[in-house]
Amino acid sequence: MTEKVKVRIDGEVIAATPGQTILEVARANNKYIPALCYMEGLSAVGACRLCMVEVSGVARLLPACTTPVQEGLAVVTSSPQLQSHRKIALELLFAERNHVCAVCVSSGHCELQALAQDHGVTHVRYPYNYPRLTVDTTHPRYVLDHNRCVLCSRCVRTCAEIEGAHVWDIAGRGIHSRLVSELQRPWGEATTCTSCGKCVQACPTGAMAEKGWGVEEMTKQPAVLSRLTSMREGQ
Amino acid sequence: MANSLVTALPHPEDQDLIDRIIGDQAGRPGALLGILEKLQDHNPHKYLPMETLEYVAARTGVPQSQVYGVATFYALFNLEPQGTHTVAICRGTACHTRGSRALLERVKLQLGLQEASDGADKLTLTTPDRHFTIRTVACFGQCALAPVVEVDHAIRGHVKEQALMREVDALRKERAR
Repeated sequence: MTEKVKVRIDGEVIAATPGQTILEVARANNKYIPALCYMEGLSAVGACRLCMVEVSGVARLLPACTTPVQEGLAVVTSSPQLQSHRKIALELLFAERNHVCAVCVSSGHCELQALAQDHGVTHVRYPYNYPRLTVDTTHPRYVLDHNRCVLCSRCVRTCAEIEGAHVWDIAGRGIHSRLVSELQRPWGEATTCTSCGKCVQACPTGAMAEKGWGVEEMTKQPAVLSRLTSMREGQ
Repeated sequence: MANSLVTALPHPEDQDLIDRIIGDQAGRPGALLGILEKLQDHNPHKYLPMETLEYVAARTGVPQSQVYGVATFYALFNLEPQGTHTVAICRGTACHTRGSRALLERVKLQLGLQEASDGADKLTLTTPDRHFTIRTVACFGQCALAPVVEVDHAIRGHVKEQALMREVDALRKERAR
């Protein structure tokens, strides 16, 4: 057994294993830190900036999902400043694409929607970007709607790390970033896709869905994918 | 090799070249960037055709989506054929206030080019005869010389519309000869 380090999360002293991240320690001890791009069992990328926490002695906010714990670390997971930052991050996600919950298959089961409700996002203070985006319906079983994509890259990592196919990646840069399959081939024509549907299960919004579901009907089980990784590690 | 996945192959001579370039860089972390850069440099039209990207992916074992991601992330890679002459107009703040938009519009008009409406930050337009490519650049770092235009890799400062038009005209005539 490796030596434990003592960290303080919201005042409570917790024994953690070196190498764990703040988010992992917090989740293991029932401390809630919101996150969108983090998924248990996948590598962490720190893309959504919702898990930002205050660490004593550090002037700036740090992402909990990529910051490893150290002896004596003291973390604050919620404060007016953090709440305001998280709200801004969520509003920017809404402003960037065309998120219309009323017509979305994932409404009611959407992580973005749930986070917005938790953080009291009643309106978006920024002008909407209204990008003109496509919907890829070429796959026989699944559909990809770029309008609802938040670029969390959970599908990219699920496909690369769990399925091992690496069909997806993010192309372009900044506001022009888009999810692409292979060399921007339509999903249905992707030669490496195994049609396993893991990316669909990993997607936190309605960007990826199974065909044949109506509004509010698409539910997903990302936890199954996380379990898959932990079972493989146990082997 | 995973060649069975390749749907369109580059020319056999190009395949040799690609294999050689990959061989030089093989195994080094981040080799993909160097490979793509060399390949673009060797291309007569200074761009990376889709077949090349597909072939590189099959040969290096890097997933196609990742190759595509790298090629679209870096502004230095072109996925479209480039013109013989390049006119790069700075659209940074300093150059903007000194009239770089007018320069851009003027050159576009002169070469009969129309802006594609995809709204990308980086504007790259090539004439149908592939003689000229005009592109915008965020900043050359020569703001004291604003407005700055780069013609075939030579920086020009304090560019005036008339001077730029004369320069483009000269390059045009060069081809006529």
